[in-house]
Amino acid sequence: MNAVAVHLSGVTRRFGAVRAVDDLDLTVEAGTVVALLGPNGAGKTTTIAMMLGLVPADTGTVTLFGGPVSDAVRAGRVAAMLQDAGFVPGATVRDVVELARALYPHPLGTGSILATAGLEGLASRRVDRLSGGESQRARFAFALAGDPDLLVLDEPTTGMDVAARRQFWAAIRTYAADGHTVLFSTHQLHEADDVADRVVVLTAGRIVADGPPAEIRARAGVSTSDSLDAAFLALTTEMPATKAAETEH
Amino acid sequence: MRAYLTFELRRLVRDPRVMFFSVIGPVATYLIFSGWSAGDRLEGLAAPVAVMIGLAGYGAVAGVLMVGSAVSQERAAGWLHQLRVTPLPSGQVVAVKALIGSITAVPPVITVGIAASIQHHVELSAGRWLALLLLMWLGTVPFALLGLAIGYGLSPQIAVPVNFLTFLALSVLGGLLAPATYFPEALQHLAHALPTYRYAELGWRSAAGHLPAPAGLAVLAAWTVLFAAVAAWSYRRSTARR
Repeated sequence: MNAVAVHLSGVTRRFGAVRAVDDLDLTVEAGTVVALLGPNGAGKTTTIAMMLGLVPADTGTVTLFGGPVSDAVRAGRVAAMLQDAGFVPGATVRDVVELARALYPHPLGTGSILATAGLEGLASRRVDRLSGGESQRARFAFALAGDPDLLVLDEPTTGMDVAARRQFWAAIRTYAADGHTVLFSTHQLHEADDVADRVVVLTAGRIVADGPPAEIRARAGVSTSDSLDAAFLALTTEMPATKAAETEH
Repeated sequence: MRAYLTFELRRLVRDPRVMFFSVIGPVATYLIFSGWSAGDRLEGLAAPVAVMIGLAGYGAVAGVLMVGSAVSQERAAGWLHQLRVTPLPSGQVVAVKALIGSITAVPPVITVGIAASIQHHVELSAGRWLALLLLMWLGTVPFALLGLAIGYGLSPQIAVPVNFLTFLALSVLGGLLAPATYFPEALQHLAHALPTYRYAELGWRSAAGHLPAPAGLAVLAAWTVLFAAVAAWSYRRSTARR
């Protein structure tokens, strides 16, 4: 399992004067679970958007499975839960899942998708009548339906209650155990700690730490018994002092 | 593409409000006002037939524009973003939306036709009815493109009023609501340059047993090219923005 799922090389993206992503190099090996951590505005969403071909990079290259992003998207090897993506009114959960199944070449079964996403009993509910957490689960179902090799999740558990979160991460673990690649961004540090093989900490568009959760703690100089929160704060508040001065003008 | 078409058709059936408004408006207008001009001859036809076609076109254009500009809400909801990370090509998304929009032209044409045949005993041969329906459907292509131009180009808050004003101006000035024959001369010239008038003209001529007029087709084609260009431009702009 050392094929490369995601490769970003020297990728920069500016929005006006702000460098949202600044000369980023990132390689994600196939079959791993990678967490993208960072404070608001660190460039997590922009990085993900470039990975999916939604936003072009100003400079640098992005490849998925060794080829252009658009090829991987067209071949149905990628699916995503995006922060700003939603469904259209009038469709039911089942409509949405069936659509996703029809669009991907090797979909999972409808029953298993609904069960994995915790949507049993909600299949005929209209997506515009779901609660925040339910609608997040429906988006998970949509992403999962095509059994993609790479699953990209931008803050996936927003709006989910504790039980839903637990079920969600259990599903992700099972999914990753089958050799799938999962990349997710989150503010919930314990999620990264519990689920990810590797944690990438972004600040001001740059990687400030990259490694297994334990190594991140060590690098930040906090003891292994401390939570990842302490390491995260240590990493993202010290390093960016110089960065902040750079981006101001 | 078939899956997406099925998906959109299901939504349309499940939420028939669009259909309802594009049907109820023209049918009610026909029932109330078509008596006024019943003795006149308009556009080379007995008035009840001419008014029937005008109002059918009014409903058809209303429905088609509404579906197109609803794209604006889908864009704001992030649905188009979601679709862009699936294997479905964006060109097919646009094509399905245009097709779904044009389908909404069919119910008002049928229902106004039924109203006319009951109220004024309008009689056409089966072939003429069929030709009329087909032309009133195909003729909505420029309006489907205009709706998409509005939907891709503008935010929902602006798309709704712009859509409504555009529809009102085009349908009233194009003689769909009140026949252009009653307009002052200058407004008649204006009507003849509008796609709405030329669209209804397809129906008027076919009901009278004539082929479409070359001048009318030329005007429609010109508007179609213009709306297609604007739709393509606003589509590209909408995908580049974020």
